[in-house]
Amino acid sequence: MQTTLRQSGDPDDASRLQPVYQANGLTLRFGGVVALAEVDIAIRHDETLAVIGPNGAGKTSLLNTLSGFYRPQSGRLSLLGRDVTGCSTHVLARLGVARTFQGAHLFPGLTVLDNILVGRHARMRYGILQAAAFYPFACREEVRHREAVEEIIEFLEIESIRHRLVGTLGYGLRKRVDLARALAMEPRLLLMDEPMAGMNLEEKEDLARFILDLREARKIPVVLVEHDMSVVMDLADRVVVLDFGRKIADGSPGDIQRDPYVISAYLGAGVP
Amino acid sequence: MRRSRRPIDPRGKTLPQLLVERADADGDALALRQKALGIWQTFSWSDVRDQVMWLAEALAELGLQRGQTIAIIGENEPQHFFAEYAAQACGAASVSMYPDLTAEEMQYILTHCEAVTLFAQDQEQVDKALAIADRLPALQHVIYWDDRGMWSYRHPLLLSFRSLIDKGRQAATNRPDRFASLVAKGRPDDIAVLLYTSGTTGRPKGVVCSHASLLDNAMRLDRALQFRAGGEHLSYISPAWAIEQHIGLALSLVAPLVVSFPERPETMLADFREIGVDSCVFTPRQWESIASDIRARMLDAGPLRRWVFDTGLRIAAQASRRGRPSLAGRVLQAVAERLVLRPLRDQFGLVRTHVAICGGAAMAPDVFQLFHAIGVRLRNGYGSTEFGIVAMHQGNSFDLETLGDFMPIEGSFGMPIDWRLSDGGELLLKGGSGFGGYLGQPDKTAEKFTGEWFRTGDHFSVRDDGRLVFLERMDDLRVLATGHRYPPQFIETRLRFSPFIKDVMVVGDERRDFVIALVNVDGEVVTRWAEERGIPFSTFADLSQRAEVRSLVKTEVERVNSVLPDASKVCRFANLPKELDPDEGELTRTRKLRRDFLAQRYGPLIAGLYAGDTEVRFDIPIRYQDGRRGELKAVVQTNIVQPTIVPSLRESEQPRMVASSGGRRG
Repeated sequence: MQTTLRQSGDPDDASRLQPVYQANGLTLRFGGVVALAEVDIAIRHDETLAVIGPNGAGKTSLLNTLSGFYRPQSGRLSLLGRDVTGCSTHVLARLGVARTFQGAHLFPGLTVLDNILVGRHARMRYGILQAAAFYPFACREEVRHREAVEEIIEFLEIESIRHRLVGTLGYGLRKRVDLARALAMEPRLLLMDEPMAGMNLEEKEDLARFILDLREARKIPVVLVEHDMSVVMDLADRVVVLDFGRKIADGSPGDIQRDPYVISAYLGAGVP
Repeated sequence: MRRSRRPIDPRGKTLPQLLVERADADGDALALRQKALGIWQTFSWSDVRDQVMWLAEALAELGLQRGQTIAIIGENEPQHFFAEYAAQACGAASVSMYPDLTAEEMQYILTHCEAVTLFAQDQEQVDKALAIADRLPALQHVIYWDDRGMWSYRHPLLLSFRSLIDKGRQAATNRPDRFASLVAKGRPDDIAVLLYTSGTTGRPKGVVCSHASLLDNAMRLDRALQFRAGGEHLSYISPAWAIEQHIGLALSLVAPLVVSFPERPETMLADFREIGVDSCVFTPRQWESIASDIRARMLDAGPLRRWVFDTGLRIAAQASRRGRPSLAGRVLQAVAERLVLRPLRDQFGLVRTHVAICGGAAMAPDVFQLFHAIGVRLRNGYGSTEFGIVAMHQGNSFDLETLGDFMPIEGSFGMPIDWRLSDGGELLLKGGSGFGGYLGQPDKTAEKFTGEWFRTGDHFSVRDDGRLVFLERMDDLRVLATGHRYPPQFIETRLRFSPFIKDVMVVGDERRDFVIALVNVDGEVVTRWAEERGIPFSTFADLSQRAEVRSLVKTEVERVNSVLPDASKVCRFANLPKELDPDEGELTRTRKLRRDFLAQRYGPLIAGLYAGDTEVRFDIPIRYQDGRRGELKAVVQTNIVQPTIVPSLRESEQPRMVASSGGRRG
C-alpha cells in the first residue's frame, strides 16, 4: 500500500515567488526589555529556514510571535498574502501555521493515536453532539481523519506505539508524536522550537531524516530554532542569525559560518 | 471474505500454474493480508493472480526470458511474493535475499546468479543496489515498491513497481492470452528459486530448487504436521530461508493457507495476536524473546498473580512429565488450563496455533519446556537448504533430544527418505526430490555426495531406541588416539543445560584414548541443594568433593552419555575445587573457556584422571581479591562414570548397563 502524500496548497509559479509567511519590522518589548527589534523575515516555499543565536537572542520570542502567542508592538505579519497581524494562535492555526514545542506538550494520559487526532481538531466540521449521535456525515469524516492520522503514523514510522499511552514513551518518541500532531493539521508552515534539544545522537539522526523527508514529500516550509549547529548546517537552506533581538545575518549556511558578526556573537571574539 | 478450504493436487505443476488454478476456483476467497494504515488490507486469490499477471506481462515486455534469474531484496510483503510468482510465470528463477545484507554481499549473490532484474523494497535497498550497479553488467532493472524517500531519485536502471503494474495491465489488455501461454510453458523441473546457503563456511552457494522440490517439501510439511486447510500463516522469516518458501509461497497455494504480513517487523507480536495464527515459523531467538517477555511480564505482576502463574505452570509441567495423571491431577490440570494457560496463550496470540516450528539453530530446552507447559506444541525441524526439510517432531508427544520422525514423501515426488550413518557417524540421506546441486559449482556439488547418498555434514548417534540424536557438525569433531571422532561442544553444551553445572571442559585429543571432563559445579545452586538435604560442608572446595555432590554430577554425566556412542562417552570426571574465574585468566571476559591455559593449570588433575588415580593432590596458584597471591592446596577425588574402552575390545566391553541407566526426558 502506498501513501498518497498530500501536498499543502500546491501553489502555481506566480505565487511560488511570494513568501509563504512574511514579517516586516517586528518589534516586541516586555517592559524595558526589547525582545525583538525591527526584525524582517520571510519564509519561502520549499524552504527550511533555521533561526540561530546565542541564549536570549529572541529566537523563541520570534517563534511565539509568528505563531500568534505574542502580539508585537509594531510590525506586520502576512500569511500567503493575507494580513494576519494581531491574529491569535487558534486563528493562525486554522490558517495553517503549526508548531512543535521545546518540551513536547502532549496529553500523557491519551494514546499516541488520540494525541495526533487532537491535531485534526482545526479540520473537524462536526460538533460533539453530532458525533455522539453517529451522524453519517460525522462518521464518514471521522474515518477520513483517522486515515490522515494513519498516514502520518506511517510517515513517521510510529506504528508500533500507536496504542501506547504517551506518558509511557521515551523523550525521543514523544518529540516525534509532537511532530505528528503538528503535521495532522495539514499545515502550510511548520514552526519547530528546538526539536533536537535533549536528544541522543540516534534520535537526532532519525528526526533530521524526517525533517528532510517532510520537505521532500510534503513540501512544507519549516522554521527551525535550533542550538545544534551541525544539525542547522545539514538541514537548513537558509539561516537567520539573531543577537539581542536584532537580525544580524541572513544567508546560506556556508555564508553564515564565515560571517564575522556571527562568529563574534557566538564565540565572543572582537570584530576586526 | 470467504476462505477456501479445498486443497489442490500439486503434482506435476508449477507454482504459477497452481496460483492460476486457485484463482479460477476460489477467485473471491481470501489469499493474503497485509496491515497498512492500521487496517488489515486483503487480497483475494484473483487479486493476487492479477497482480502477478500484470507484473509478469511487464517483465516479459522488459525482456525477461525463460531460464534467466531475478533477485528480490526486502522484508516480507505481498510485493515480494508477487515478484517471485511473476518471475516464475515467465519461466525465470527467483532469488530472495535477506534485507540486512551489505552491498558487498548483495554484489556477490547478484553476480553469481547473474540476475537481470532486482526488486528492491525501498530507499535503503535501492541505495545499496545503485552503489554496486556499475559492477553488475547483467543487471538491467532495479524495481522498488516503497516510494518513501524515492521522490527525487533519477537513475536509468530505476523503475517503480506501480509503473510496472500499469504497464503490465496495458500489455494484458493488448495481448490477453500471453500470460496463460507463458504459465502453461512451465515444467515442474524448471528452476523455481535459488536458495543461497548462509555461508558460515566460505562464500554462500546457490542451491537449485525446482518447482517439484518446493512442492515436495511443502507436502512433506503438510503431511507431517497436518496444516489446517484455510488456516492462518504469518509470514515473518525471510523467503531467503527455505522453509518460508516451502510454507509461505508453496504450501499456501496448495493447502491453501491465508498468508498475513505484519505491518512492520517491530509490530509483529501485536499483529500476531490480532490474527491468531495457525502456523508460524520463528528462529530460536524469536521464541526466546517471547518466552522472556512472558517471564518479564510476570516479574511485574503482583504476588498473587505470580503465585497463580507459577502454580499453573508447575501443574502443567508435572502433567506433561507423567503419562497418565490421577483424577486429582486431571482436575488440577483443567483448573490451571482455565486460569493460567489459556489466558497466557491468548495474551500472545497462540490460542489457535497448532503448527509452531523452531528452526535454524538449537534452542535451550527450558524454552521448549515453557511453551510445552503452556500448551503450545513447539517443534524442532531438521533439514538443510540443499536437501530440504528432512525430519520433524510429529504427533502430540515427542522427545526433544531426538531428531524426530522422518518426513513422509508424497509418491510422485520421489522415494521415501532413507538414511544411514557413515563409519564416521555422518548422516547420509536419499529420497524425496533430493538435492538439485549448487549453481555453477559442479565440484562443490560432487563433494556433497557419496555415491547416491547425500552427505549432510552432520554427526549423529543412534540411541538405544533407534532414534537419531544430532551431536555436532562433522567439521567440529575432535579425534582421539583411537581414531574415534567425538563431539566436544555437544557434550559441554548438554552438560551445561544441567542447573548444577556452571561450566565444563571436555578433554581428549590425539594423545588420549577416551574422553574426560572437568566440571565446575554451580556454587549457588549446589549450596542450596546441599542445605536442603542437610549435607554439611565448609568451603566450595569441600562441597565440590562431597560424595553426594559427586554422585549428583555423575547422574548428569550419565544422562548425557546415554545419547552418545560408547567411544564418545565421558568415562571419568572430576569436580574442580574452585570456580573458574576470568580474573585468573581461566575464562575470557565473555565467559568462554581458555582451554590451553586450563589444560596447563589443571595438568596434574588431567594426568591423574587418565592414570586412574582415585585422588589427586596438586597446587593451584590463585590471586585473592586484594591482589595477594597464594596457592590453593587442592585435593580432588576422581570419579569413574564407566569403564574405559580399549578399541580392540569394544564389542565385548560395551557397558550397556550404565548407558541404559541414564534418565530420558520426554
